Amino acid sequence: MNLSTNLEQLRARFEAALKQSADARSLDSARIAFLGRSGEVTALRRTIGKLPAAERPAAGSRINEVVEQMETSFREAQARIDALDVGASLSQRIDVTFPSVAPLQGSIHPMKRVMHDVCAYFERHGFAVVVGPEMEPDYYNFDALNIPPDHPAREGFDSFFVTPNLLLRPHTSPMQIRTMQQHRPPVAVVVPGTCYRRDAVDARHLFQFNQCEGLLVDEGVHMGHLKGMLTGMCRELFGSEQQVRFRPSYFPFTEPSAEVDTTCPLCRGDGGECRMCGGSGWIELGGAGMVHPNVLRNVDYDPDVYSGWAFGFGVERMALVRYDVDDIRRFFENDAAFLEQLA
Amino acid sequence: MRVPLGWLRDYVELPVDPNAVASMLAELGFPVAAIETRPVITGVIAGRIAELGKHPNADRLQVGRIEIGDGAPLTIATAATNVAAGQTIAVATIGARLPQLTIERRKMRGLESEGMMISADELALPADWFEDGIMQFDPALQPGTDVVEYFRLGEAVLDVEITSNRVDAMSMIGLARELAAYQSVPLRLPELVHPGAGSRGPTHKVTIESPDCRRFVSQIFSDVHPGASPAWMRIRLALAGQRPINRLVDISNYVMLETSQPLHFYDAAKIPHHHLIVRDARAGERFVALDGSVRELTPQALVIASETSAECLAGLMGARNSEVTPATRELILESANFNGARIRRTAQELGVRTEASSRHEKSLAPTLTEMGAARAAQLLAQSGATPHEAAAFGQPLAPPAPVEFETRDVKRILGFELPVQEIREQLDRLGFKVEPAGKSALRIVAPPWRTDVTSSADVLEEIARMTGYGRIAAEIPAVRAHEIPSSDYRRERKVATTLAALGYREIVTYSLHGAQVFEKLRRGGVNPPKRPVEVLNPLSEEQRYLRHSLEPAMLEYLARTDVPERTFEIGRIFYTEDRQPLEMSAVLFGFTAEPLDEPDWRDTHFLRAKGDCEAFLRALTARKSFESAADERPAYHPGKTGALLLDGHEIAVLGQVDPRLQRAFGVRLPVYLCCVHLDDIPAYEIPQFKPPSKYPSTYRDLALVCDVELPAQRLETALRASAGPWCTLVRTFDEYRGPQVPAGKKSLAIRVTLRKSDATITDAEADEVVAKAVSALRAEFGVTLRA
Ligand SMILES: [Zn+2]
Repeated sequence: MNLSTNLEQLRARFEAALKQSADARSLDSARIAFLGRSGEVTALRRTIGKLPAAERPAAGSRINEVVEQMETSFREAQARIDALDVGASLSQRIDVTFPSVAPLQGSIHPMKRVMHDVCAYFERHGFAVVVGPEMEPDYYNFDALNIPPDHPAREGFDSFFVTPNLLLRPHTSPMQIRTMQQHRPPVAVVVPGTCYRRDAVDARHLFQFNQCEGLLVDEGVHMGHLKGMLTGMCRELFGSEQQVRFRPSYFPFTEPSAEVDTTCPLCRGDGGECRMCGGSGWIELGGAGMVHPNVLRNVDYDPDVYSGWAFGFGVERMALVRYDVDDIRRFFENDAAFLEQLA
Repeated sequence: MRVPLGWLRDYVELPVDPNAVASMLAELGFPVAAIETRPVITGVIAGRIAELGKHPNADRLQVGRIEIGDGAPLTIATAATNVAAGQTIAVATIGARLPQLTIERRKMRGLESEGMMISADELALPADWFEDGIMQFDPALQPGTDVVEYFRLGEAVLDVEITSNRVDAMSMIGLARELAAYQSVPLRLPELVHPGAGSRGPTHKVTIESPDCRRFVSQIFSDVHPGASPAWMRIRLALAGQRPINRLVDISNYVMLETSQPLHFYDAAKIPHHHLIVRDARAGERFVALDGSVRELTPQALVIASETSAECLAGLMGARNSEVTPATRELILESANFNGARIRRTAQELGVRTEASSRHEKSLAPTLTEMGAARAAQLLAQSGATPHEAAAFGQPLAPPAPVEFETRDVKRILGFELPVQEIREQLDRLGFKVEPAGKSALRIVAPPWRTDVTSSADVLEEIARMTGYGRIAAEIPAVRAHEIPSSDYRRERKVATTLAALGYREIVTYSLHGAQVFEKLRRGGVNPPKRPVEVLNPLSEEQRYLRHSLEPAMLEYLARTDVPERTFEIGRIFYTEDRQPLEMSAVLFGFTAEPLDEPDWRDTHFLRAKGDCEAFLRALTARKSFESAADERPAYHPGKTGALLLDGHEIAVLGQVDPRLQRAFGVRLPVYLCCVHLDDIPAYEIPQFKPPSKYPSTYRDLALVCDVELPAQRLETALRASAGPWCTLVRTFDEYRGPQVPAGKKSLAIRVTLRKSDATITDAEADEVVAKAVSALRAEFGVTLRA
């Protein structure tokens, strides 16, 4: 049989195979069977070697010619199949209201989110965020903060002791001392972290809670700066209209000291029958004030040169207000519905 | 502190509206926790029982003719038994409004009663604190006087919070003084004359042996009669929350509430030679308190003793021996000042807290001893007692040290300008003495009752209070650059966001737990920590221990749900080393999952956990691959636990929770956890870019038969080592065990990817590299190519 006849038959069978192919896969197997590395065309090429040398070039180009035709046919068939595919795809109709396939979705705890938001606000204004140990000696919890032994204010910090001199910190303020001992002014830090107090448990109080502390010490730092930063923080957390109010108070480590209130976000300060603020129109956030000169002296800062402010707010307290949560214990119970709703 | 507004108005002019008073107090730093409004009571007047007789038709009723001043006397029937002719009593007239009823004309057993004799209860006073029956007034009270108005019974009671530095304000006069200064109105103090001055009578002596008694003012009174106090005093005490007892106890309570100064009365007959000694208690000294309780004292306690026994625990409570009784005719008054810290320690040690100690422990101003004594003397004299000469012992009253105050500190610390004149006026109103000291400074002397003001910062707070904190204007500071790092916090934050992105939900649990956690661990076959960190003074047994790991709380969380959960927690864990409690930051994440239908040598859940763990570590370290090794540790499955290592250091442990422990915690589904100590994670390493080859890669898939015990990772490592520099990746993607391979063998499907940097790799080159590598494996591990 001569080469031409063989080639023609081969091409005819290939065309037939292409014609019979209804999808891309059978089309591809036809291509591999004929044009693939170990396909029929390759087998045919091997026979060229048996031809007399003079006939070989002609045979070779004849094969190439047919292969080219076959490849053209293949591309045409491919286009035909693709058009079929497009047509089939376009005719599909689904119910777009069918429930979605849920993505793998995690979440940050709502209390931690408030903590991160507070930190992010202060970081934007040039504060560092520092964290510290939850077990702290007396010295950092009290003495260095101008609360000597037997000071009546120690009563407000009813603490859990681990050894006679080591306690679970009742506030994040020990980090004020640690930070100032390590750095010279300017000092600008926020301290988020867990604290413990021997408080009877109810909807507003828990023996474990989180606090966010802020401390700014430098030349020329005054109480207006404290109000400015806290107003900004409240606007970030609760809404752009928030106001902040200071009331005189007493903490041994600040002087003057203030209780900080912000407009009740629920009634927007109108009060009335509001269940969140009890009608006062204000929400208590926590304590603040100008760092007591004795505290500055304890870390070898000259209070005649440097001044500073500090605040310490309960994070759950802020989260309660922000998310209108009824009971502080929910932040530790990890109820699925709670975490899901506030995720 | 409960503050009856009607009492407060004795000393200072105040707005009518209690809310206005409350907001002034708040501005001054004394927040009002509650305003207790009094019920509306009208038509109650004082009446004098002119005649009293039996009711004609009822044995248990009496009928009185009551004089009410200008009007005609009223005929009123009563069932009360504490009435008698001549008494002045409370009468509700026809039309009177009482908390529970309105008085109407009515017949009692056929006799018209023109009103009602009423008790303390009907005046909304605590019934069991007053006489059983009809409320009795002093005979001096004019019949017809409006009772509610006279006793200011309609005035609200404020619950005022007083910070611990302001013990001077734990009193009516203290608060009135603040309100007077705030409003710039005069303060009206009771006129204090020291009765008894110059009188001759019984003498007494006080010996002070302890420096912790700074001052002791005392006085003897004869002819005392401990009957009931006058109605006005009983009513005021009751509204202030203090139960009236008798004339003497009431006077001491009244003076304390009025002036802050606690007092104590001794029955003089029980004090030999009228000699009191202030001294440390003797070790083991017995003390029988007023309430009969017996205590053994230590020298920590400060006592006021007679020559024979301790008669008073200083600042805390009196002894039963010398307490005033109905038989007392002569008493010794004590108005003393003690070192607050000493009183506080004793109170804590003995577990006693009284109204007196809550003031003493905050270190009262010594000057108050005079005021308290004088006021008590006045009230005792009014009640008919005969005062004798008063005496003061201890340190003389020293004037407070002056404070130098730089006026520019107002601007520097408070942020607003204030003229010096205004500063002086404000301080003057609070009783401070101010004089110029140089160009810009003031020399300031605090009033003697303000022992809390000792520094320039304290003065600043006074100025801020008087100006009003509202004057402080919000301003955003320009924070100067500093070098304080946030790295620890940023890492925690990154951990949280990474795990949330991997589909884990964050939980926050308590760090304190009870022994039941150890019990569950034990039931699950895990030994609890040998020396857990323990709280010395827990609130309850459920909060005695500090967690040593995050696993128990997470298992308790997972036990609460039946559906698969993915969750994580970041927190501190606590442990003991050389008796030293320590802590570190840990992160735990993992999931519960329905078991898969897999042979016992495969666990896809484990591989998923491992994948998450690697992704997590990649995000934190920027490192691309981690070694793994089988691991065994309590709480984890012996055959499904591994460690991830970086540079030979273990940085994470992960595995299936031991099914016994899972059951002990009541978790339904298998649990896979990964535990990382944050401090073990190496720092983030900035990745460096290497341009990829422009030439295409190729790969060869190998089916290698090896011993079942051979870890895939060892084959991969060996393959990679022997495949040379063109090998870019070796990855096992399937495992087979079964009849197709000999017993004790398994088949691993491994893809080797090859790529040259300077040319396209040819098939021949790829085949050669792989063949060489396989023969190396054959030599090292006896591996064969699967047919
Ligand atoms: Zn509100």
